[in-house]
Amino acid sequence: MMRTHRLRPAEDAKLLEIHGVAKAFGEHVVLDDVSIQLEKGDIALLVGANGSGKSTLLRCVGGLTSFEGTVRVLGADPRTAAGQGLIGYLPQLVALPQSVTVGEVIAFFARLRKVKVRRPEELAKALPLPDGFLPSLELPIGALSGGMRRRVALCVALLGSPPLVLLDEPAASLDEEHSASLWETLQALRSAGGTALIAMPLLVTSLLRHDLATVADRAVLLEQGRVVHDGPVQSLRPAPALGTHRPTSVGTR
Amino acid sequence: MNVPAVVAVAGWELRLAVRGRLVMGTALTFTVVCVLATLLGLRSVSSLGLAGVGPGTGALINLAILFPPLMGITLGANSLSSARERSLLPLMLVQPLSRLDHVCGVVLGLVGAVWLTIGFGFGASALLLARVAGTSDVSGLLAIVGSALGVGVVSVAIGVAISALAGSRLQALGVSMGLWFLFAFAIDLVLAGVAAAVHLGPFGLFVGVLLNPLEAGRILMVLASGADALTLGPFGAYLNNTVGTAAAAMAVCASLAGWTVLSLLVAWAGIARREP
Repeated sequence: MMRTHRLRPAEDAKLLEIHGVAKAFGEHVVLDDVSIQLEKGDIALLVGANGSGKSTLLRCVGGLTSFEGTVRVLGADPRTAAGQGLIGYLPQLVALPQSVTVGEVIAFFARLRKVKVRRPEELAKALPLPDGFLPSLELPIGALSGGMRRRVALCVALLGSPPLVLLDEPAASLDEEHSASLWETLQALRSAGGTALIAMPLLVTSLLRHDLATVADRAVLLEQGRVVHDGPVQSLRPAPALGTHRPTSVGTR
Repeated sequence: MNVPAVVAVAGWELRLAVRGRLVMGTALTFTVVCVLATLLGLRSVSSLGLAGVGPGTGALINLAILFPPLMGITLGANSLSSARERSLLPLMLVQPLSRLDHVCGVVLGLVGAVWLTIGFGFGASALLLARVAGTSDVSGLLAIVGSALGVGVVSVAIGVAISALAGSRLQALGVSMGLWFLFAFAIDLVLAGVAAAVHLGPFGLFVGVLLNPLEAGRILMVLASGADALTLGPFGAYLNNTVGTAAAAMAVCASLAGWTVLSLLVAWAGIARREP
């Protein structure tokens, strides 16, 4: 039987608190005074154009980059939270080693996350994903398509059901069927009390038509490193004067 | 330290390494040249035993000093830099393990790969030697193998340290190759050339030996195996004559240990400070 190792975070802490986070590469400001709070069970979208700071913010929350300001995951600083297994993370681009099989990848990360299984077949069941989402365990990574490799990396991010999942463009390279499976998974994750912060390179008009709009509770709109909207997805409206491409927000939290 | 996580990372790195072309190619080449060197020395070995065959033992020692360290430093240099370039490092560092756990796991795994290579090469030599040399010679060969394993650890640790600091995989590999060349050839040549001219003196030579982990490893192999004193080289001979065999062996062991610990600390600091 699968058994996940869960840690006991601070009881009264918010799941994710980002306060006044700023980050610059030399003169180039990437994040400027970003503040976001997520409660348990929130599915929040981090949307904005390329270069708006979405991936950098996820890296800040994952403890992978230095920044000014405060980030707390269940009351702990990001590196401590990651070290306690509280964070699952899917990078924007990740090239898994080609010489190992899907099963070996999942088994390795499951071991790190103390997800215990008796038989290799139980690995797939240890994941909160629909049957068929994970490619066959015997297949080498080198034999997988880009979308299939993305699905393996997604499974790694969700292993052990961490309280906070950071997904950077999770649907990149996924076909419609598997994208739909992913959104279903996120809904299941929310039902189970999990929380996700998902970066998507969507502008407002695209987001409103996107399946994610029905899954996510909130949309946080980033523009040149600043939060210009933080509220329900449906409260977003495209800017009429500029056609359909420039994001505009209505109402901020 | 999270020992299960370190073991898991070590197993992962070992698996990736032994499936790579570098390890397979080096292991094969090392085994072939070890067998050739042993065959060349067999005639003398049959009459004099392992300790009496200076050229044959010297060849094995030189092979152990050149091949496994080259492989170790290259594997180490490729490790973190490659993972960083493929975004695998961020994925690893959000797992429930510390940066130090990760560095230790990587080093252990790659050391395992280098040790396997050494095992193949010297294993083949040992099988050949067993046919003609007496059992008393086994200890000499074991001493060379043991010293080679130690040099393997140092070379991997140095490579991982380079990997943690380098800006790219290419840079890491370039620096590691340059350092290997420096340790394997250049330092000896430079020291031998300038020792008299600049009146380096005994202490200078002693420091020169300790600054070069490959030279330290070579001296350790010669001292431990009891091979021909000529193979000690000028620095090894000086060290041996000045402080005696036991103290010289301890000094070079301390040098190897120091290089390993220093490299691990550098790698740890590098991975903790740099953005993955």
